[in-house]
Amino acid sequence: MKRTLLVVALLIFMSAGIFSVTYMYKNIPITYDGSNTDVYELAHNPTDYDTSDADGVASIIVKENLDKTRATNNVTAIVFDFRGYDTLGESFILLTAITGALVVLRKSKKRGEGAAKNEEH
Amino acid sequence: MKNTDNSDLIVKCLADKFLPLSLVLGLYVILHGNISPGGGFQGGVLVSSAVLLLYLAYGYKGAAATISGKILHKGEAFGAICYIVFAMLGIFYGFNFCRNVLFSRGEIGDIWSSGTIALMNYAVGLKVLTGVGFLLMLVIGLLAADPAEKAPDASEGGELK
Repeated sequence: MKRTLLVVALLIFMSAGIFSVTYMYKNIPITYDGSNTDVYELAHNPTDYDTSDADGVASIIVKENLDKTRATNNVTAIVFDFRGYDTLGESFILLTAITGALVVLRKSKKRGEGAAKNEEH
Repeated sequence: MKNTDNSDLIVKCLADKFLPLSLVLGLYVILHGNISPGGGFQGGVLVSSAVLLLYLAYGYKGAAATISGKILHKGEAFGAICYIVFAMLGIFYGFNFCRNVLFSRGEIGDIWSSGTIALMNYAVGLKVLTGVGFLLMLVIGLLAADPAEKAPDASEGGELK
């Protein structure tokens, strides 16, 4: 009974995945593939670059970044403005890393503190 | 490890020369995160390399006498709270979370030019600076504590038996 349920559920998941993949492949247009962006010219004179036919994300960044954020560093503008929520989690990775290091090295850290106190006294 | 604890003159002099340089470079990268390459993450790691320079020159004793772990820990929490407060400024102004609401203050190219981008940049810089510094202090403490504490550990085991 359990096995048949499992098989049915897996089949449903698999059919949904296949349907969504084929739907995305057929019906959703490609937003940005970088084919119309001349990277060299964009890097050397970003103000004169022809952005009338640029595609997707590149045109938004090039045209509207200064108006929207007034930060000349595009990477910082994206990391802290357009993707601020992502950066919040990214900075909490560090907190998790410190917590893990404390858990692993807790005994050793106590030793270190004891050594420091002994040296101070 | 004993060599690093004793005072090696060349390493000490070089660390004394390079410590302010690394601090100034890291703080510059943090402060100019919105107008030049770099940002909070990179500048924070640059500043926290000062812990390693202190350890190379003066050993764990000198580093622990200069930098206190409690202040680093509190600084990291303060940075996280600051980041969330600056992100919630959007809610206070009536927009969504992480909305840049102060961006129209200041000229393009100034340090104070891009509103909450700069503020969040400084918050993340403080958080990474103190967090990586605390992590390095932990590892350095482990390195310094191990050889000195081996004998007491053995004696404790003997007492238990």
